[in-house]
Amino acid sequence: MSLIAFNGVSKTFSGKTAVRALADVDLTIQEGEFVALLGPSGCGKSTLLNLLAGFEPLSDGDLTFDGQTVARPGPDRGVVFQEASLFPWLTVWDNITFGPRVQRQSKADYEGRAREMLRLVGLEAFKDALPAQLSGGMRQRVGIARALVMNPRALLMDEPFGALDAQTRLTMQQLLLDVWQTLGIAVLFVTHDIDEAVLLADRICVMSARPGRITREIPVELPRPRSIDSLITPEFMAYKGMIMTDMKVAHGAH
Amino acid sequence: MAQSEALPADGHTLSAPAPVRRAPAQPQRTGVAHLLTNTAPGRLVLAVSVPVLLLILWQLAGRGTGSLFGGVLPTPDRVWAAWQTWAFGQAGLGLNPYSGTWLSNVLYSAQRVGQGFALATLIGVPFGILIGWNRLAAGTFDPLIQVLRPIPITAWLPFSIAVFGIESMGAVFLIALGAFYPIVINTTAGTRGVEKNWIRAALMMGARPSDILLRVILPASLPSVFTGLRIGLGIGWTAVIVAEMVAVKSGLGYVLWDAYYIGRMDVVIADMASIGLLGYLSDRLILALEHWLLGWRRLQSFQN
Ligand SMILES: Nc1ncnc2c1ncn2[C@@H]1O[C@H](COP(=O)(O)OP(=O)(O)O)[C@@H](O)[C@H]1O
Ligand SMILES: [Mg+2]
Repeated sequence: MSLIAFNGVSKTFSGKTAVRALADVDLTIQEGEFVALLGPSGCGKSTLLNLLAGFEPLSDGDLTFDGQTVARPGPDRGVVFQEASLFPWLTVWDNITFGPRVQRQSKADYEGRAREMLRLVGLEAFKDALPAQLSGGMRQRVGIARALVMNPRALLMDEPFGALDAQTRLTMQQLLLDVWQTLGIAVLFVTHDIDEAVLLADRICVMSARPGRITREIPVELPRPRSIDSLITPEFMAYKGMIMTDMKVAHGAH
Repeated sequence: MAQSEALPADGHTLSAPAPVRRAPAQPQRTGVAHLLTNTAPGRLVLAVSVPVLLLILWQLAGRGTGSLFGGVLPTPDRVWAAWQTWAFGQAGLGLNPYSGTWLSNVLYSAQRVGQGFALATLIGVPFGILIGWNRLAAGTFDPLIQVLRPIPITAWLPFSIAVFGIESMGAVFLIALGAFYPIVINTTAGTRGVEKNWIRAALMMGARPSDILLRVILPASLPSVFTGLRIGLGIGWTAVIVAEMVAVKSGLGYVLWDAYYIGRMDVVIADMASIGLLGYLSDRLILALEHWLLGWRRLQSFQN
């Protein structure tokens, strides 16, 4: 059974003019799989992720996580937001331990794990810093650590590196590859960057807009473990070329 | 919000070069103007220069008779003397009814402001959060507050006297009412301005509604709450003086009106100065509390 299963899912935002953001989406993600959702801005990527996170109700179809219908947000689906969305009044440590604390876990239960996550994202030295004292990349590391500390079954990331400069983005992509290879949890990664999708994912779901739908799924069979050095290999270029052609076709069809 | 990794992380990281910081072009930083605006003693000199100048002019204008406007306005030295008697003179002695009563009157007024303001805060903040958070509550109470708010607290005076009599409670009521509006309105605005993704993040981490309220909405709206508290406190001082002039027989407002009636303008001026001083000090108190609680915010505005 798939960990995540979208079955004919649609989403329409009602309002002055109703927006059909997603139409008849079918998508399954297996345990431990890394799936990238690739598409131009406005095509419904965030909407799809928000449905899975439980932030928004679906309009039609069904959506299950681990066999259960998704009804509300929960710590089994860790979300990493584009701007990190840390609590600016809490230190790095307090941000990371927020989840365990509101779940009323005992300190003994979560402290070791929180420390481990802090180490995994390389922020031990910034335990007591406030978010405002961190760079964008470091804030996003905290965002990843606070999601991982809850031992989620899946990590949902909505353009998490989209606001970072090119060099920091490479660093963060490498970090995410390392983290994923260590923990092996499922990841749904939203991006509009083809390089990023090919570098990270096992499978790329290409989306088109109005209404948002998945037009193609492309398995990426580049060898693991990958690193940002893979970005310049001929195989990588081949994948990139293929997807670019594909997206042009999808775009032209409109 | 594109930023470089400006702070070094561990060896595991590819650190981008630190951004080059160039000081913006500025004129030569020397001279008296620079000293006055950029050093602590300089700023103090600047701050007191106009008041001192006015006091000197006032003093000079009234020399000879010791007063201006045909005896109505006493000079600063006479105000100062009256204030000293009022503050340190022996109570209940001789012909001066105010001798030695300054502290007790200050305490009366301060206590009323404290009680009324505390009441306004205890009701206004939870109410503001409720209205900002719950549409049902907003629909129910928002219109009521908007309609009641334009009624000035002075218009409530007869009502207050009728209900509470010539009692301290009437003053506390007016202060609480006056301070309530800015507190509730600013808290509501703060609550409505809480970032959606903070709530989503908390929900994702398993927070219950009470956690969202106390650990997200409350801290996130605290900056606006403090804006409301500062405005509310100012209104509280206005309200206490008005109430004491009319509806209570003690406190700085009572002395103010009473001294005017018996023609002690020196005490009137000393009283006004005392009100200003107390208002200023209580505002500094709130500011200090805000400074302490909202350290994170200062850092943030320094950064961005
Ligand atoms: N809360 C909302 N109300 C109305 N329309 C929305 C809402 N959220 C998203 N949309 C619309 O749905 C479409 C898809 O948006 P989104 O999922 O954010 O796209 P993406 O993340 O791919 O950029 C867009 O046309 C957007 O304007
Ligand atoms: Mg989006």
